[in-house]
Amino acid sequence: MGHRRSLSAARALLAGLISIGGWALAPRTDAAKPEPDPAAGRAAFEQHCARCHGPQAAGDGYDAKRLYPRPRDLTEGVFKFRSTATGTAPADEDLFRTLTDGLPGSGMPDWRHLDEAVRWQLVYYIKSLSPVFEDSPAQPVDLGRDPGRRRVDLAAGKQVYEKLRCAACHGAQGRADGTSAPSLVDNWGRATRPADLTQGWNYRGGSDPKAIVTRVLAGIDGTPMPSYAEATTPEEAWQLAYYVRSLQQEPNWSMIVRAPRLDGGLPSSLDDPRWQQAPRVEVRLRNAMDEAGEWARAQTISTVSFRAAQDGQSIRFLVSWQDPTDDRGDAPDALALALPSAKVLGDSVTLQLWPMRSSPPLDLCVWSAASSRAVEGVVRRYEPLLQAGGASAVPIEAASAYADGQWQVMLTRPLAPALPNSARAAPGRLTPVAFAVWDGGNGGQRATSSWVDVMMEAAPPSTAAERAPATWLWILAAGVVVLGLVWIVKKPQA
Amino acid sequence: MRYERQHAWIFVAGVLVAIGCGSRPQDAAATSGDAQGGEPIQLAQAADEVASAPAAGSSTIQGTVKFAGAAPSAERIKMDADPQCKLQHQEPVEKQDVVVNPNGTLQHVFVYVKSGLEGTTFTPPAQAATLDQHGCMYSPHVIGIQVNQPLEITNSDATLHNVNCKPANSKPFNLAQPVKGMKSKKQFTAPEIMVKCVCNVHPWMAAYVGVVAHPYYGVTGADGAFSLTGLPAGDYTLEAWHEKFGVKTKTVHVGDGETASVDFEFAG
Repeated sequence: MGHRRSLSAARALLAGLISIGGWALAPRTDAAKPEPDPAAGRAAFEQHCARCHGPQAAGDGYDAKRLYPRPRDLTEGVFKFRSTATGTAPADEDLFRTLTDGLPGSGMPDWRHLDEAVRWQLVYYIKSLSPVFEDSPAQPVDLGRDPGRRRVDLAAGKQVYEKLRCAACHGAQGRADGTSAPSLVDNWGRATRPADLTQGWNYRGGSDPKAIVTRVLAGIDGTPMPSYAEATTPEEAWQLAYYVRSLQQEPNWSMIVRAPRLDGGLPSSLDDPRWQQAPRVEVRLRNAMDEAGEWARAQTISTVSFRAAQDGQSIRFLVSWQDPTDDRGDAPDALALALPSAKVLGDSVTLQLWPMRSSPPLDLCVWSAASSRAVEGVVRRYEPLLQAGGASAVPIEAASAYADGQWQVMLTRPLAPALPNSARAAPGRLTPVAFAVWDGGNGGQRATSSWVDVMMEAAPPSTAAERAPATWLWILAAGVVVLGLVWIVKKPQA
Repeated sequence: MRYERQHAWIFVAGVLVAIGCGSRPQDAAATSGDAQGGEPIQLAQAADEVASAPAAGSSTIQGTVKFAGAAPSAERIKMDADPQCKLQHQEPVEKQDVVVNPNGTLQHVFVYVKSGLEGTTFTPPAQAATLDQHGCMYSPHVIGIQVNQPLEITNSDATLHNVNCKPANSKPFNLAQPVKGMKSKKQFTAPEIMVKCVCNVHPWMAAYVGVVAHPYYGVTGADGAFSLTGLPAGDYTLEAWHEKFGVKTKTVHVGDGETASVDFEFAG
């Protein structure tokens, strides 16, 4: 009996585990799915979505032209991020996920702050806008089973990447520099670009392996990304997904970065191991608007990585960014490293709005792929420096290389102002920097960053003490204050 | 004891759930295996004669599509984007949008019976219409197909093609064919003049598919001629479609067992 009792206890435990497992695996959203309420859906759409998607959801809202990719025409029945067969409607959960998480790298924000019930009403409302939900109802693609990271061989995943010829668009290293990448056009006739697979933060539909498997097997309708459901198996797709996942960089988003003082000498080349002593930081870029105030081109350059190091005399920057094409001709790739000029605070002007008629001048270090050289000048417009000239520009040291869809540029400028009004950078201070990058292969599109503070490490302590005797005075004063406080505190007891 | 039995039931239910979960990958494998198989079903050849000839009548409408004016010089295609494509061509490849034959006729014109067959339903043939991707070009450039007739799409190139067909009346699809010899079968479920298919990897590639509800259609070739056979006697409206020059229509009467002639003319 005792034996049977322990057996039944084991069964009960197993049953319990299974039911807990089942509960954990069940889609949590089901419980919150309310009954459709068309009026509520319509009201929520008008309040939250119409500004971009338009009052009739035709993708022609007030802000539509200021977004690229353009907002979807929801009446057309073409949905990009589905877990369903190509050409079929998305599942309710797909729409709910897009609303909840947004589409990173596009203008579609996440709507997590809306009540789940409201998000479901929006899903129902969107479903009422297009006949595709009745004519071609959702056919879920078979995603197979996640083998888990530990059971996946990344080398096998790489082979799948090659077999399925992902590199044709996404490039051999996944940097969106495949031979077909520059000519891709979406079903609405607009230029589009493959995802840069190294930048997980820009994967529209999510960067985890399951999201990747889903994109591979379901495709992204309306875009050049086809469904591989007939070209591969779910097992292969999971291997591929883990491999693609392994290509994603770990970004270090920061608004402040330390520029160490390397008295032993600054890194002398792009791949000098001494660069490892300088922390790398990532900065987001945004396409500049055209004259009509629109975003009309795909964003090919979305992120700049940089490091800075200095030796008390000059500061050296190593800047790298992914650009699918190496352009050195009439429309060359280019980089401007902006510093505030002596009389302007960097943060008082955003590069997104520079230059304008009344903009303050900026200190720009401009490198162009056409000449592989760089100049520095205090200017009110980019053009004089981009054309590698200008009377008041001075040449600065530069080195550059392009490989596998990536530019690396090293720029060096003296800490002491080289020109009247040029930026003063000094150890122990914060120096704001910002970046503008041009992609010649994308119609010369400029993308700009916000400002990042470079914190230049002060000189070693001994040197600092010699240069600043005032420090000792401060320490003495602090000592006096502390003693005074101690005396005040102790006095009442006396 | 009752307590125990209850747990046993929960256990049984749990096991059933586990079996249910466990069996899913097998189903999955079976499904993907079907899709993966790729080999076309070979009944097409045998069924050829029977399926594609409904033999509803014995009349014929035939004619040619002429081109008036000077033939425009054909544009060359740059295949630099993919070395695999370039390798397959010794000679420069020209665009297929306007091809004027030496005899002054126009190629790639889709001619079909637009009206006159209302009220008759035609069974789609079992034999698949074929669309090949060879040398990074669609072959043929323009095809006709019956509603619900299978369309077999083949990749004969050792490079990636995506077949992105964008019908308005049927289910669109965008399929990857990364491996040489891969075949996919699709169909269009409603008439449409024309369905455009493109390959985004090779932006010069485009094919047009005329989807009609009956078997009376043709595409002009190197002689600029078309012939619609097996028609019942009657009055018909014919339409000729060209990707650059648009559409022309003509009406024609054909008697039982007769052959009527209709010529179209497009001008550049």
